[in-house]
Amino acid sequence: MDWKGYTVIYVVLFVFATAQAVVEFAGLVDSAYWAAFALIMVLSVVKAVGVAAYYQHLRWEPRAVTYLVLGGTVAALALTGAAAYSIL
Amino acid sequence: MSQDHEHGLPPKSSVSRWFLTTNHKDIGVLYLITALFFLVFGGVLALLFRLELISSGADLLGSMGYNQAVSTHGLLMVFWFISPFAFGFANYVVPLQIGADDLAFPRLNALSYWLYLFSGILMGVSFFQGTTFAGGWTMYAPLNTPAYIPGEGLGATSVVLALIMFTAAVTLGSVNFLTTMYRMRAEGLRMRDIPIFSLSINLTVWMMLFAFAALLAALMILASDHILGTTYFQYSIDGTTMATDADNPGASLLWAHLFWFFGHPEVYIVFFPALGVMAECFQTFTGRRLVGRKWFIISMVLVALQSFVVWMHHMFLTGINLPIKTIFMATTIGISLPFDLMVFSLIYTMAKGRVRFTTPFLFSLGALILFIIGGITGVFLGAIVLDYQFRGTYWVVAHFHYVMVAGATALFGGLYYWYPKITGKMYNETLGKIQFGVYFLGFNLLYFPMFIAWETPRRVFVYPDGLQIWHTMATVGGFILGASFLLMFYNLFVSLWRGEDVGPNPWEYATSAEWAVSSPPPLENFPGVPSYGTGKLEFLDEETVAERTESMPGAAAHGHAATDGGTVTDGGAVTARAATTATTMESTHEVSGEEHASHASFWPFLVSLGGFIAFLGLSGVRTGSVFYLTMAAVGGVATFGSLVGMTREPFHAPEMAIAERWPFERVEKMKLGMWTFLASDIVLFGAFIGSYAFVRVAYGWTAWHHDLIPAEHVTMPGLINTYLLLTSSFLVVLAMVAAERESKRGTVAALAGTFALGVGFLINKGLEWQHLFHISTETFPNGWNLSTNIASSTFYLTTGLHGAHVTIGLIICAYMTVRAWNGAYQGDDRAIEYFGLYWHFVDIVWLFLFPLFYIL
Ligand code: HEM
Ligand SMILES: [Cu+2]
Repeated sequence: MDWKGYTVIYVVLFVFATAQAVVEFAGLVDSAYWAAFALIMVLSVVKAVGVAAYYQHLRWEPRAVTYLVLGGTVAALALTGAAAYSIL
Repeated sequence: MSQDHEHGLPPKSSVSRWFLTTNHKDIGVLYLITALFFLVFGGVLALLFRLELISSGADLLGSMGYNQAVSTHGLLMVFWFISPFAFGFANYVVPLQIGADDLAFPRLNALSYWLYLFSGILMGVSFFQGTTFAGGWTMYAPLNTPAYIPGEGLGATSVVLALIMFTAAVTLGSVNFLTTMYRMRAEGLRMRDIPIFSLSINLTVWMMLFAFAALLAALMILASDHILGTTYFQYSIDGTTMATDADNPGASLLWAHLFWFFGHPEVYIVFFPALGVMAECFQTFTGRRLVGRKWFIISMVLVALQSFVVWMHHMFLTGINLPIKTIFMATTIGISLPFDLMVFSLIYTMAKGRVRFTTPFLFSLGALILFIIGGITGVFLGAIVLDYQFRGTYWVVAHFHYVMVAGATALFGGLYYWYPKITGKMYNETLGKIQFGVYFLGFNLLYFPMFIAWETPRRVFVYPDGLQIWHTMATVGGFILGASFLLMFYNLFVSLWRGEDVGPNPWEYATSAEWAVSSPPPLENFPGVPSYGTGKLEFLDEETVAERTESMPGAAAHGHAATDGGTVTDGGAVTARAATTATTMESTHEVSGEEHASHASFWPFLVSLGGFIAFLGLSGVRTGSVFYLTMAAVGGVATFGSLVGMTREPFHAPEMAIAERWPFERVEKMKLGMWTFLASDIVLFGAFIGSYAFVRVAYGWTAWHHDLIPAEHVTMPGLINTYLLLTSSFLVVLAMVAAERESKRGTVAALAGTFALGVGFLINKGLEWQHLFHISTETFPNGWNLSTNIASSTFYLTTGLHGAHVTIGLIICAYMTVRAWNGAYQGDDRAIEYFGLYWHFVDIVWLFLFPLFYIL
């Protein structure tokens, strides 16, 4: 990827970060907490995938590297999810 | 062996050799000896408390002495003996079995060893700081926090820090083994074809990579509770009793979740290498290939995966809900099925072959029998209703000793099995068999009565009167078991001189590659580049390799040279230069042992020594004592200085010219090492974030923000820091682009910009923290600091860990900026790319911390 592509990604990331703050400043966190929660987390995930795919070049690496990363992520999510569920 | 064949290392007879070596075989031997030392250490403690248990009551060691002995025994055996013992073999044998000349990062391997040794010494030192940790090897909360530890509790803090050091060693080791096994297999050796011991190690390190990252998170949090005063594992923050209206209702369960998420995979981490040894010995001494080998392997893979979803069977008696208990009962019973398959495979192998009852085989067979008993009694515990009875009793003690020590039994078999390979001498077979007999008798006399006396409460020195006879039997068994080791040590020691010399393969039917070379193998392992290209093991000579690599298209032909620096992103001054000039010829020369760069390094030892001093100092800083503060500072400086020294030391460990690398063909070894490390870091941060989510759910997710966090904690500083980090990530990729285009000015500017933005991030964070520390509102009259409440603890610790990652990144970035200024990286941006992988990861973590800690 050349610098132009990287710049496009950068702009998108910047806008999404701002959008997350806007959700809060607009009062959505107070009025509709779980909707705001979902929206903000989805934005974070999209940003993370963008950084990993383009800045860390996962798109161009063998898939095995992506699976390695997903492995760690799934382990962490399993721990978090199951532990939190266990006390609900 | 002549001096120039020793990679710049002094001869084995010289003491300095063992401090300087980075060779996998030397380090394997060091691991074996050190682990056996810890076996004796832990064993003596066990004999002490078995003596105590001859009669009910603590009349020998005293109550605190008893608790310390039991706790330390457990920790030493699980952490400092059994896995390191297995990894002694792994170090020695895996490279030989897969056809590599060493591990991928030899110096990191030495570093792992020294960190391991010094962490064990720190354990020992903790006894002299008043009392050592006495709350049991599972370290349940809140008894693991200073408020609930009698006395100053400095010894307990040292134990936590020792475990952190140990975990660091394990993480480095996991990265190293995985990179080795995916980048350095002999040509033609597919993953599924590697010998079963190496395969078991492969799966073990996969589990280690993720499980130990969760343990590291638990330990770092615990250390922070000890040293910095956070309140993760405490029920109430100012009272001395456990408050029922505590502000942190998740405290105790949080530890249990983190610990057992690690702890259950850990039991397979302990057992898998033993299974590998058993399978090897069964094959060799029955003269048969493992029956159903494919299914054996599939079973192991299944168990390795499933081991991460059974942990709550250790929590059946806690307040977790019934649906989740039921699910975990099902997964637990499910995980025993693949084990059945493996057990049957071993039994059939034996039934179909012609058994030769050598010492290694006897130990393997004994291990199988013990494991079957241990496994069956485990399934009892996996059933919720039964566990309600058995939990906290000697049934559990008997169960896990049958499985764990079954593992150790197989490993002792491994010691006999590979002894001739390692020493070139044969041990005394008769004495070996006698030892097995004594061992097996002692073992069963020690542990079987525990099933009968199961009503004895665990970790307690009083028990019902009628049970004394069983406990006396167990104590006698313990001493018999202990005595059997004297026979083993005597046998193995004396055989070093009196043993018969052995050739490459003393065992008929042993087929894996370590038996194809002399005993002990030469330093570079093989007489050429190993290859299974034709279906059987051959050694390619230099000309063949040169011819083949010249005609080979693509990445495999590049004998990339890289150093394994302490800072993973940049292997020091030589990396870039060596990488650009490395020709295929150079690396072939390396492999065939013509050109000998030095493989001696004193830095791994020094880094670990520094770390030891720093951690010992840290254990006492909360007292404010000048002695401890000085040690922490001196140790810190020494560690940092040694890391810099290690980075700058030229060290050449080129990739193999021809190798099997599925599925990471195009991922150069430094890059693969980096990604593997990041995968474990994902779990580390994941566990931190998971802990935050857990205690917040326990408290009440939405009430949290309102009750515990001051209005002064606003979004803006977080948003600004998000912008700073995103921009710095962008600059790192621009630095890559500039380096590729050979624009020195561009590279320097982009790296310097990254550095500036990172510093800005830290300054902004510092200002924010200062502000929050000193607010004075109605709810928070004394500021909002680390100890104020559970929300402040999670906020400061999680973002603090992230800040520490940023700081490390900045140190590397500064170093690289200077090097770029001096003209490095032009036309070869790989070093920048690897640094970028780390930096972007830190960025990604922030992308989640920002909303979780600032918005939601
Ligand atoms: C074969 C299947 C196995 C099953 C179904 C099983 C099940 C269990 C269960 C349910 C417990 C918790 C008991 C309690 O605390 O009430 C337990 C404890 C334990 N198991 Fe196993 N286990 C199995 C195999 C193993 C293996 C292979 C090892 C190690 C090599 C092992 C080591 C341990 C240890 C160390 C504990 C005690 C943990 C503590 O200190 O509380 N288990 N097992
Ligand atoms: Cu378990």
